[in-house]
Amino acid sequence: MITRKALPRRTFLRGLGAAVGLPFLDAMAPALSAAPKAPVRMAFVYVPNGIDMRHWNPEWEGPMQELPRILKPLEQFKSDITLFGNLTHNNGRALLDGAGDHGRCCGAYLTGVQPRKSAVDIKVGISCDQIVANEIGHLTRFPSLEVGLEDARQAGDCDSGYSCAYTNNLAWRSEKQPLPPVLDPRALFERLFGTGANLTPEERARQTKFRRSILDFVSEDTKRLQLNLGPTDKRKLDEYLSSIREIERQLQKAETDNAQVDPGMPKPYGVPADFAEHFRLMTNMITVAFQADMTRVLTFLVTREGTSRPYREIGIPDGHHPLTHHRNDPALMEKVAQINTYHTTQLAGWFEKLKSTKEGDGSLLDNSMIVYGAGLSDGNRHTHEDLPTLIAGRAGGAFKGGRRIVYRKETPMCNLFLTMMDRMGVHAEHFGDSTGRVDGLNLS
Amino acid sequence: MQFPGMGRPQVGFIIDADLGNSIDDVLALALLYGLEGKNECRVVATVTSKSNFQSAALFEVIGRFYAGAVSAAFAAVGRTLPVGMTGNGKSSPSTPILDAPLARKTPENTPLYVHGIESFNDTADPLAVLRNALTAQHDQNAIVFLAGPATNLAKMLELPGAVDLVAAKVRYLVVSAGRFGAGDNDPQIVADIPAAQKLFANWPTPVIAAGAELSSFAPFPGALVDPNFAWSKAHPVLDAYLAAGKMPYDAPTTAMHAALYAARPKADLYKLSSSGTITVDANGRTAFTPAANGKHNYLIADPAQAETITKIFVELASAKPVPRQPRFRRPQADVDAAKPKPEPAKPYPPKP
Repeated sequence: MITRKALPRRTFLRGLGAAVGLPFLDAMAPALSAAPKAPVRMAFVYVPNGIDMRHWNPEWEGPMQELPRILKPLEQFKSDITLFGNLTHNNGRALLDGAGDHGRCCGAYLTGVQPRKSAVDIKVGISCDQIVANEIGHLTRFPSLEVGLEDARQAGDCDSGYSCAYTNNLAWRSEKQPLPPVLDPRALFERLFGTGANLTPEERARQTKFRRSILDFVSEDTKRLQLNLGPTDKRKLDEYLSSIREIERQLQKAETDNAQVDPGMPKPYGVPADFAEHFRLMTNMITVAFQADMTRVLTFLVTREGTSRPYREIGIPDGHHPLTHHRNDPALMEKVAQINTYHTTQLAGWFEKLKSTKEGDGSLLDNSMIVYGAGLSDGNRHTHEDLPTLIAGRAGGAFKGGRRIVYRKETPMCNLFLTMMDRMGVHAEHFGDSTGRVDGLNLS
Repeated sequence: MQFPGMGRPQVGFIIDADLGNSIDDVLALALLYGLEGKNECRVVATVTSKSNFQSAALFEVIGRFYAGAVSAAFAAVGRTLPVGMTGNGKSSPSTPILDAPLARKTPENTPLYVHGIESFNDTADPLAVLRNALTAQHDQNAIVFLAGPATNLAKMLELPGAVDLVAAKVRYLVVSAGRFGAGDNDPQIVADIPAAQKLFANWPTPVIAAGAELSSFAPFPGALVDPNFAWSKAHPVLDAYLAAGKMPYDAPTTAMHAALYAARPKADLYKLSSSGTITVDANGRTAFTPAANGKHNYLIADPAQAETITKIFVELASAKPVPRQPRFRRPQADVDAAKPKPEPAKPYPPKP
């Protein structure tokens, strides 16, 4: 009988104040065992203020045809994507609580629960990502990751009596405890790769001063490991470590650029001034975190709900939120469509990275299911039905992809989330306001 | 949409009917919209238990008809409620009640009555429609009206939290089904016996049933149809009526009795049985057992009220649409009248 002790899945390269996770390597599978199955990752990427549905919803359903304008940047991922129609979040609606659709739609998005209307006494529900994280989080270094791109306060009234906690968070650990997104790439990097808690302020300053790569700290461990790896694993490890090095380089560049762009203004340390660069940096790190199986659950609040962020980088100095209340002015509507398309362009960059990262017989994208969408459909009228929603990835071969599925009107978004939870091995009877599971997504 | 601090709106009707199987359902729907025009109630949800697009389409056509003005081309626009429809995988056959209005064309050969239901996905998940409509109502400010099999309501009760939601929001359920006297079993019950059994057993609020024995009490007078609907050149309810039988005929009215009682329970138009419990046996036969703490009653015809009821039926079912005004916006004329009048220009410099 041939046996070989497999490299543990949760092996880390360790060094002074640093621990770097590893991607899935062949050496982690016992010899002569069946091909190991890569884990499935679940992610939610949320954009605020709705989407110009004229340029999101195609007229067709079934197999993918020509994509509408906002989805055009995702053209090369047509076969990896499933588009959905008619998914609804009833608990984002006013019901009896009056104004505050931005607060409600974001608070309800992953919880499926109508948020309590209060700026102080917040209450919503446990979000589906956290339900999954609670069940499978012990398998990874981080039960979940929460990231975002826009700094935002966590307290106070952000929308007609709704707490900023609702507009500025996606993930909720409990009914009253949101998990604020990490915005600073440096903070995310150190969280993922550096055991910052073990560093004294002097060591941290020294590390920063000399700009040493985190890989330098683990070089001894790396060399030892490489001695025991086959050629495929060696190449995989090289690519992986190179991608970490590339992120470090981007971080350093971002910090330098920041100083050049706006030296007189107090800016968060390490946050790139450029939106696209910030997006790329954060998603690069998420990719590595997925690749190294540091986490399987992610929420990504691209910008906070109701944001009035301008997009000067694409020639739009107007605030996003005011633009969405366009009163059918074609010039304003055009700007909204441009912002929406700018977002999907960044998303395409991330998908490209995920698709080019090989894992098992497929790619990291194949082993993911990434929801991209918004809590409002028409940002002008604040509608909560037919929410713009897509899933990228095949959930480890379970999803067909390459189609648009239009469900019946009022089909709860929670039905989709419940189906996704199944794929993560978390089988709940119901979630939020679900009435069942969605059909047509699975291969079988 | 309702807003806090602005008072409770009129009671909201959640309607579940197998529209198209019987003309009294269509007339009952017209009656409820007539009451809405009088600001006595609101129609807040419509669901059909007849698995046929045409049924859902007629619901939408009638809703649009009462939502806005009728033009020659019947291009009424206005609120369109999502229409829930039972989707059991089998399409139930269409009927003349559905076909006649939906087949009408304009001189340009386009559909006379516009609707947006062309495929299964244009209809809505009935359970979500029912439940969502309840979540948007003030406590004890909804009435559920059932005229057809109990399929949807029984399933809705199985959703998590639904029984508590119903108990909080619903004053009572009014059911146009069953039979409380001699005669055949009611087909509306027989169509889904397990659902009817569950509904009567588990529904948490008072239930008032209008049995099939009321069908011929105060029938809708066929002789009065033409004169009362003549105000409109295009009326989907009239088209349905004309297609449902050979004119002139008097239409059955069980569902209309249920609707009228539901909206005007204190009008003393009907007698009410004692309190008790309604049960459904394996053959679909309804039985009523008196019980002091029972939550169920059934309507009993009061012949002395027949003439009054008929007049009300005709008046409400043929009422003209009253486009719904935004509830909390004052009429522009009132706003203008309330503005301070500008003082006439004074000569300058002022005369001493």
